[in-house]
Amino acid sequence: MITKLPIILAAMFGCCLAATQPAQDTRVLPEGFVDAAQRSTHTNNWAVLVDASRFWFNYRHVANVLSIYRSVKRLGIPDSQIILMIADDMACNARNPRPGQVYNNANQHINVYGDDVEVDYRGYEVTVENFVRLLTGRTQNGTARSKKLLSDAGSNVLIYLTGHGGDGFLKFQDSEEITSQELADGIQQMWEKKRYNELFFMVDTCQAASLYEKFTSPNVLAVASSLVGEDSLSHHVDPSIGVYMIDRYTYYALEFLEKVQPFSKRTIGEFLQVCPKRVCISTVGVRKDLYRRDPHKVPITDFFGAIRPTRVSTDRINVTLANEDDFITTDELVVMKPFKIVIEPQFPTEFFK
Amino acid sequence: MGLLSDPSISTQSKLVDGLARHVRKVCTVLYVAGVAWFFCLALPEFNHGTYLSENALSPGLVYPEIRVDANRLAIQLLEELQRERKDHLSTTPHAWIAAKMNEFGLETHTHNYTLRYPFGGGKEYHGKNIYGILRAPRIASTEGIVFTAPYRAASSVHTDISPSVPLLLAFADFARRKNYWAKDLIFLVTEQEQLGMQAWLEAYHDGDRDLDVSKAYLRPGNLPARAGSLQAALNIEVQDLEIDYVDVRIEGLNGKLPNLDMFNLVQRIMAREGIASGYKQTPRKKRRHSKSLFETNLRQMLAMLATQSSGVPNGNHGLFHRYRIDALTIAAHRRATHATLKGQPGSAAVPLLKAIEGIARSLNNLLERFHQSFFFYVIVNNDRYISIGDYMPALVALVACAFVKAYLMWSTLPSTEAGGELDTEERDADTDVEAEKFELPYGSVLIYLTATLLIGFLCNVLPLQQYFLEIPMGAAPLTTSVLSFLSLIGFILPFVVVLPPGGLELLHVAFLLIYGCSLIVIGLLNFALGFFVAVLTVPLVIALETKEDTSRSTLRHAIRLLALILNPMMIVYVIVLAMTFYQFPELPLQKILLRAATAAMDASAYGLIDSVLYGNFLYFVISTVLLPLWIICWTLALSKRRDYADYVEFEESPASSPQPQSPSQAKVKTS
Repeated sequence: MITKLPIILAAMFGCCLAATQPAQDTRVLPEGFVDAAQRSTHTNNWAVLVDASRFWFNYRHVANVLSIYRSVKRLGIPDSQIILMIADDMACNARNPRPGQVYNNANQHINVYGDDVEVDYRGYEVTVENFVRLLTGRTQNGTARSKKLLSDAGSNVLIYLTGHGGDGFLKFQDSEEITSQELADGIQQMWEKKRYNELFFMVDTCQAASLYEKFTSPNVLAVASSLVGEDSLSHHVDPSIGVYMIDRYTYYALEFLEKVQPFSKRTIGEFLQVCPKRVCISTVGVRKDLYRRDPHKVPITDFFGAIRPTRVSTDRINVTLANEDDFITTDELVVMKPFKIVIEPQFPTEFFK
Repeated sequence: MGLLSDPSISTQSKLVDGLARHVRKVCTVLYVAGVAWFFCLALPEFNHGTYLSENALSPGLVYPEIRVDANRLAIQLLEELQRERKDHLSTTPHAWIAAKMNEFGLETHTHNYTLRYPFGGGKEYHGKNIYGILRAPRIASTEGIVFTAPYRAASSVHTDISPSVPLLLAFADFARRKNYWAKDLIFLVTEQEQLGMQAWLEAYHDGDRDLDVSKAYLRPGNLPARAGSLQAALNIEVQDLEIDYVDVRIEGLNGKLPNLDMFNLVQRIMAREGIASGYKQTPRKKRRHSKSLFETNLRQMLAMLATQSSGVPNGNHGLFHRYRIDALTIAAHRRATHATLKGQPGSAAVPLLKAIEGIARSLNNLLERFHQSFFFYVIVNNDRYISIGDYMPALVALVACAFVKAYLMWSTLPSTEAGGELDTEERDADTDVEAEKFELPYGSVLIYLTATLLIGFLCNVLPLQQYFLEIPMGAAPLTTSVLSFLSLIGFILPFVVVLPPGGLELLHVAFLLIYGCSLIVIGLLNFALGFFVAVLTVPLVIALETKEDTSRSTLRHAIRLLALILNPMMIVYVIVLAMTFYQFPELPLQKILLRAATAAMDASAYGLIDSVLYGNFLYFVISTVLLPLWIICWTLALSKRRDYADYVEFEESPASSPQPQSPSQAKVKTS
């Protein structure tokens, strides 16, 4: 409590009313345990955004991941808590007619590779090994702090993957792939090591649903752009650059996210339905069985923002160590003796007298 | 018969014996099946639609940015070039081209090369290529794409394609203003047709190596600047800025082809720009006639194989294939002047320029060399192809005849078990036969084979020897006389050298094996050549018998005649004759025969020069592989044996032997 409270107090002092909404909703629910379950308990937000594919013609994957990056950053997750992995450098690709710029739309109104993009893992650093080390926290000695997922039992983690997938795997670079089993093992380790409170797993690849099939860890909500046996399709081409700009699922997800403001009442449940088959062509797959809460009652900012649940209290709160008196032994209290404080002069002023 | 009741003979031999009796039928069925399969390939059920398998190309995703001003520039450059051509009737206006390239900001260089012509006492020719490099603005010069335009002087006998150079320069001017090139672009103007191209390529790849200059006929020199490993090349041959259609030429040296993706890419981009384009494209008027799909397809296939079989590239692109650079030629043909619809003269070349830009941008997107699609294919239609997996069975079925026959011949040869295989009559004649073992004359057959191969080898080497070259004689008569002389030796050889008993049968087996192997190898390297040779010669190989059978003397004479006709020299002459007849049907027969003879002599000389300068292996295949095979074939057709008289006597005995080797065996025993 003593560690949590300052953070809660510091967080979003102006957002209390909006953020209390879920808490208010649960109050009308009949059962007490549902109330407990519905209440989000996270204290911080992390995002791991991965583009696993290289090559110029996969420009759209970089646009995908940078668009999501832009959204989560806009909704309040600081750069220090976003791990951005991009397998190839599209912005400075020699084929890019607009050097240093990446767009996610043929209208080119948003340069998603703006001035303030911090890529944590880039180029050939984006490997399966680094990704698994990142998730499980087994980074090698000397790894920069910015390249670590320093989440804890109170973290809500968003994992977004894009690239070229197959049935049961996602290709990294052009040489290796992560299997759905490896992914499930990694997340299980995260759970066992108390590295997340809730995890939102979002993946936009072909046969994306195969990637979350092996998950067993609790508190995981997963959404995939296509079912097993389906291809995920790109949305449109920018004929001035000559590449596909963005994938369909991410495009419609962004369309939704762009309307979300930090204090929005939009829920994850709505977000799961952003891309019906009519527009997506592929069928979006959702896995909810590991998730305890009702997605329609979970604000989207629980994963895409840094809005932690806050409780407004008009009562007095005891901020002393009262709750933790187990740790305070009586011996130590007894040992304490009266003492006198002597303050030494800062300057030897007597010499100048 | 003891043969059948003998328990020591396994059932397999029975099967082999059964097959051996029907070997001709089996082989004929295989032959017919192979040819029928080939014809079936023209049916739409047997070929496939083309598709792009290289994702990186992403053709047609970009809007072309080249505008009408590039066309204006091309027109202006063409006018300037036409003025230059008046001053340079038989030479290339190097200075003008280099000046223009410099003006457009390209890194311009000149490449000098020398040809030491080997024949007729030796002369030296000098040539000059101009090329300009546009360096990729934001990446190291590790990869390059080549755009070439051959320049033909005004005095050239070939069709005028001078607008290619202005078009190339106009595109270069456009490309220089763009920042998205990930590969260096080389704009190359060559002269003297394929010679200049070959010299440039050799200089590009081997120019910095210390080669023995005294031996080389083409001295390519070195290049002052390079642009990394070349990924692809586009050769542009434009007859006029106002074009009717584009013929896409792909056949390269020794029948090699560019990757099918490259052809598909060009087709797709041309279609987007609305240019009538295709493989062996013809003017619209000719295209209108109605033929069945099967017939059109078959014609297209045969036309492609015919072009490939000579191994001579049908454009400058063909020389790139040797260096594993995918290349093709877009040959734009002039619009007939009486065409009713005349486009705006100011924008006539815009579609072509846009197409070149589209191709360039797609090639620019390549991440590695073409590797996805097929390298071995036959184009059936502009959008349909046959892959190597589909057409090889045709050749394999043909060649299988040789192997089946070889196996059956071998299994019925008089081997160490010869005693058991002798039939009753022989056993009666000599009771000790079973005890003795029969030795096949491996040594003499090997020597015979070596001798024939030596003749073939000499064909390849002799015309290039210094003492022959010093004779002040043209290349054609020199080559022809050497070839004829060596063929004559081959012709006489079986009359002079007669193999010991059993030798002919062994030679037959060896012939079948060598024949089969060489055809498969030739067919893999150049399917067209292998297939045509197989179609021509397999009937003879099936018919060929070393067994003496007096009752079928007409067949024997027919085989001998066929063998004589199938002499490689004869075939070359017949092909040239047919072409002459097709080209000049109005000439009297005598003149045609004479003209064909001269042309055939020229052809053999060109074959030799091509093999020396460009590495075309047609001459080598004919002289060093097919000629020795023909000599052996001729020997087998003659079937000269020792003790012919004894043999005839034996044949008159009441029962004839099923084994061809029996008489000779009997001879050994008695001697």
